[in-house]
Amino acid sequence: MKLKQGFIMREIAGETIVVPSGDELKLNMMITLNDTGKLLWKKLEVGADMDELVQAMLAKYDVEEQTARSGAEAFVAKLQERGFLEEASNV
Amino acid sequence: MANKYRIAGLLVSMESFGRTVEQAVPYLCDSQEAADFIVQSNIEAVRETFPNMTDDMAEYLSTGSSFYRQLLNYDGFMLHSSAVVVDGRAYLFSADCGTGKSTHTQLWLRHFGERAYILNDDKPALRIVDGKWYAFGTPWSGKYDMSVNEGVELAGIAMLERAEKNTIEPYTGKSAVFDIYRQVNRPKSYEYRDKLLILIGKLITDVPIWKLECNMETDAVEVAYNAMHDFGKMNNNE
Repeated sequence: MKLKQGFIMREIAGETIVVPSGDELKLNMMITLNDTGKLLWKKLEVGADMDELVQAMLAKYDVEEQTARSGAEAFVAKLQERGFLEEASNV
Repeated sequence: MANKYRIAGLLVSMESFGRTVEQAVPYLCDSQEAADFIVQSNIEAVRETFPNMTDDMAEYLSTGSSFYRQLLNYDGFMLHSSAVVVDGRAYLFSADCGTGKSTHTQLWLRHFGERAYILNDDKPALRIVDGKWYAFGTPWSGKYDMSVNEGVELAGIAMLERAEKNTIEPYTGKSAVFDIYRQVNRPKSYEYRDKLLILIGKLITDVPIWKLECNMETDAVEVAYNAMHDFGKMNNNE
């Protein structure tokens, strides 16, 4: 799974802000990410499967694998719903 | 033939007509130096979004967006707002069209009399010069061409909302970032949009941002001015 091209992530006023750029995306939206979201987002910028996302969360947070997995799945589902992921990666 | 103009402290070259040229007259500059950049116009691109727009208006929008996009290369951007100057410092009020930001700054003029004037009523340029934020009048000032060719140091920015009662409080966090982002020129390209985000981050760090809920009474001016003015003084004394 991989994020579409063109998203910009920046730290502003203590928040992790993401906005799209370029022609493809809904250009006027802006979202914020929490720490977990930021971790997963960075993985998905370069591309990762579900197991890699879960591993990244386990490496950083003291959580059960099951909790990490359902968190990662929920995050990816949100991204898919919003059309942020590349089509080919909709497995 | 292209003319040279000094706008927001930058020397620009622009070949234009109609309203754009008329509103740019106070900015004419006969410098022989090379321009910092060229303000371009692309009426056809504007027509893709607004098919029935007159040439004059399309030219005005197109040159304005060209200027404000390139301004991002010089630590500046446009904030959709009405900028009023009192005692040599600029107070900006930003909101969606029709919310009453011009009405609010008109109240300031009435309240402060000769101490106050409008710097730009709709689209001032904000820019960092020598480490300080300034608001500048530009030729792209909205429908009544209320703008002065000056740069004035920023005292603060209030995001304005209509309400029954007048209240003002410091505005931070993601709501403030969202609100400001909605009121700026947003070029599509990754490069320019990234510059814009970085500058918004700097602005929020450097300049007090407020959320002002206000009605159309004179009391609204006192509530806003007292908070915004005192905050600036506190900072200067530190």
